Amino acid sequence: MARSLKFNIFRYNPQDPESTPHMENFVLDETDAMTLFIALNRIREEQDPSLQFDFCCRAGICGSCGMVINGRPGLACHTKTKDLSAEITLLPLPVFQLVGDLSVDTGSWFREMYDTTESWIHTKKVFDPAAQEERMENEVAEAIYELDRCVECGCCVAACGTARLRPDFLGAAGLNRVGRFLIDPRDERTEQEYYEIIGNDMGIFGCMGLLACEDVCPKHMPLQDQLGFLRRKMGITTLKNLFGK
Amino acid sequence: MSLPLTANHPTLNARRTDGVLDWAQMLSGAGLILFMWAHMLLVGSVLLNPSIMNAIAGFFESSGMAQVGGPLIFLLFLAHFVLAARKIPFRIEGQKTIWEHAKLLHHQDTWLWVVQAVSGMLILIMGAIHMWVVLSDLPIEALKCAGTLQKHSGWLLFYLALAPLVHVHLGVGLYRIAVKWGFAGRAQRVGLKRFVVLLVLVSVTISVLTLFRFWFMAV
Repeated sequence: MARSLKFNIFRYNPQDPESTPHMENFVLDETDAMTLFIALNRIREEQDPSLQFDFCCRAGICGSCGMVINGRPGLACHTKTKDLSAEITLLPLPVFQLVGDLSVDTGSWFREMYDTTESWIHTKKVFDPAAQEERMENEVAEAIYELDRCVECGCCVAACGTARLRPDFLGAAGLNRVGRFLIDPRDERTEQEYYEIIGNDMGIFGCMGLLACEDVCPKHMPLQDQLGFLRRKMGITTLKNLFGK
Repeated sequence: MSLPLTANHPTLNARRTDGVLDWAQMLSGAGLILFMWAHMLLVGSVLLNPSIMNAIAGFFESSGMAQVGGPLIFLLFLAHFVLAARKIPFRIEGQKTIWEHAKLLHHQDTWLWVVQAVSGMLILIMGAIHMWVVLSDLPIEALKCAGTLQKHSGWLLFYLALAPLVHVHLGVGLYRIAVKWGFAGRAQRVGLKRFVVLLVLVSVTISVLTLFRFWFMAV
């Protein structure tokens, strides 16, 4: 027999001066293979067309539907209702600016992160469209692709104790981004230049090692290993700077 | 509407001491872990024979290591507090945020951090009391320790609280150093946690047995 699911959903529209933050209940009959994506769309279609939430790809690729599901940040489209209790609480991701209800603006945060980390290949080589693409060892390419799998959903940032306490923290997504360029042989930035970006408490030394990022990442990115690698790398740079090479 | 919270910050490039402080936090913690294990084993030697403990304490006092080393350990202890406190929110908004965050997330490692911060505060006060009391009344002797505990049972309760606090703080600290600096990777995390739990249990057992050895010692 299908369960009756009770949804407690955070409601607030910051654009509307009449609106106050509150929780609202919706009841829905569970269907086969129901995801939160399906459930939220049904609530919007059948019960309340004003409910705001973000979706795009439905397949865990676009990273739009990050929200706090029963306390844990996760992707709504990746979450099946059968894996949850009959009572489901949905909150918008903290840290990011609230657009309304479950919708947050992760875009501005990530845009700032690109600016801070200078999230592009830094090279003095002039691009020659006629030349053959430079070759790269397969292991290196795979290591870079592994870190490039991030869908920028913001779950790691929302789950991070440091990010909750200091809004200027780069978070696992930002640190992972720097790590991705650090291992890319095409990027000519020096260790010292990377140190300028993440060798501080806004970067890797702000990480308190709570590892919620690792545990909530819907893409199972190797964040623990990546943060450890960056801390050791930047820690060694600290010693080099301190003792002059 | 408030301004968006961003990762960009004007002082981002100017914080070059952060790395040094992070090293200092880790090294002072690691140093205190080693000291506490040595401390536990030296005091725990009373379980073998009180005369062994007296001989060890006598050696540290006659060589002046207790008189000089004690206050130095106290300084290290204070330094570690100052360094680690950089990450603890002392303002009420920060406290509210981290407690709400931990309750919402129901995530073990996040709770362990809260345990670490709370036990650290208690150890700061209780450890300071312990060091003052012991170091201001040298020499350290098994019978004297037994006498103090037996005369005032409050001291027994004090140490029965302090010993587990210290060992939990040590265990979580060790785990944190290992995962933060990448000494233990993703594959080792579960095993490391089991090892730390075992280590804490063994350490607390030794410490509690030591306390009861003093409690039941004929004075």
